[in-house]
Amino acid sequence: MADSKQPGSNAPKSPDNAYTQWYEVKAGDTLWKIAKAHYGDGSLYQDIFKANQDVLTDPDKIKVGQRLRIP
Amino acid sequence: MSHINLRFRDIVYVMVALVALFACSNQMEPAKKAIADIEAAVAAAGSDAQQYIPEQVKAVTDQLAGLKAKFDQKDYAAVIAGAPAVLASAQGLVAAKDTAMKEIAAKKAAADAAAEAAMKDTWASLSSAVPAAIAAVDSRLSMLAKSKKLPANVTKDALTSAQNGLASAKSLWDQATASQAAGKLRDAVNSAQQAKQQIDAALAGLGMSGG
Repeated sequence: MADSKQPGSNAPKSPDNAYTQWYEVKAGDTLWKIAKAHYGDGSLYQDIFKANQDVLTDPDKIKVGQRLRIP
Repeated sequence: MSHINLRFRDIVYVMVALVALFACSNQMEPAKKAIADIEAAVAAAGSDAQQYIPEQVKAVTDQLAGLKAKFDQKDYAAVIAGAPAVLASAQGLVAAKDTAMKEIAAKKAAADAAAEAAMKDTWASLSSAVPAAIAAVDSRLSMLAKSKKLPANVTKDALTSAQNGLASAKSLWDQATASQAAGKLRDAVNSAQQAKQQIDAALAGLGMSGG
C-alpha cells in the first residue's frame, strides 16, 4: 500500500527521456494493481519495482504522489 | 545680262542642292554604323539578358528603336547625336547582367544554407526522439508479451498493429541512420519522419504517452 520510506540509490538502467512512461501513485494503489492496469497481469509488479529502485526500497511500500516509471 | 544671272542662279541652286545631298549621304553611313554598333553591344549582353535585367534591356531597345525611326526619317544628324548615350547604356548591359546573376546566385546560396541548417535541426530533434520512442514501445511490448492477458485499454488488434509499427519504425530508423552516415541528410530526415509516424501510432495504440 502507498506509504513513505527512504528511497533506494539505484539509478534506472536507461536515462529518462520524453518517452518514459510515468504513473502517479494514488491512494489505495499497490504495485500489483498498477501492473494489472498497465500490463493486464499484476504478477509483473516486480518489473515496475526494478525500474524504480532509485525511489523504492520495498515493492510493498509506495507513497501517494510518487511518480513511477512504467516500462 | 539677265539671262547670264539666271543661269548663274540656277548653278548656285544646283550646287546648294548637291552640297546638301552630299552632306546627307555623308552622315548616313556614320548613322548606320552607330546603330549597328548599338545592336552589336546589345547582342554581346546575350539572349538571356532579358531574363536577368528585363527593364534595362527594354530601355535600351526602346532607345534603339527611336534611333532607327530617326534613321528611317533620314534624320541622320539626330541619330549621330543620340547614339553615343544609347551605346553606353547598351555596353553597360553586360556588367548589369553579371551583377544580377551574382545577386541571384548569392540569394540561392543563402536560401540553400538556411534550408540545410533547418534540416540539421530537424535531424537533431528526430535522432533524439525516434530511438527513445522505439525503446519505449519495445519495452512495453516485451512486458505485454510476458503478460497472461492484455490490459483493458489494449485490444489484440492494437497490439498486433503496434508490433508491426515497431518493426517498421526500426527498419525506417536503420535506413535513416544509414542515409545520414552517407551524407544524405534529406533522405535521412524523410526516413526518420516516417519512422516517427509509425512509432507514434504504436504509442497511441498501446495507450502510451508521446514525447
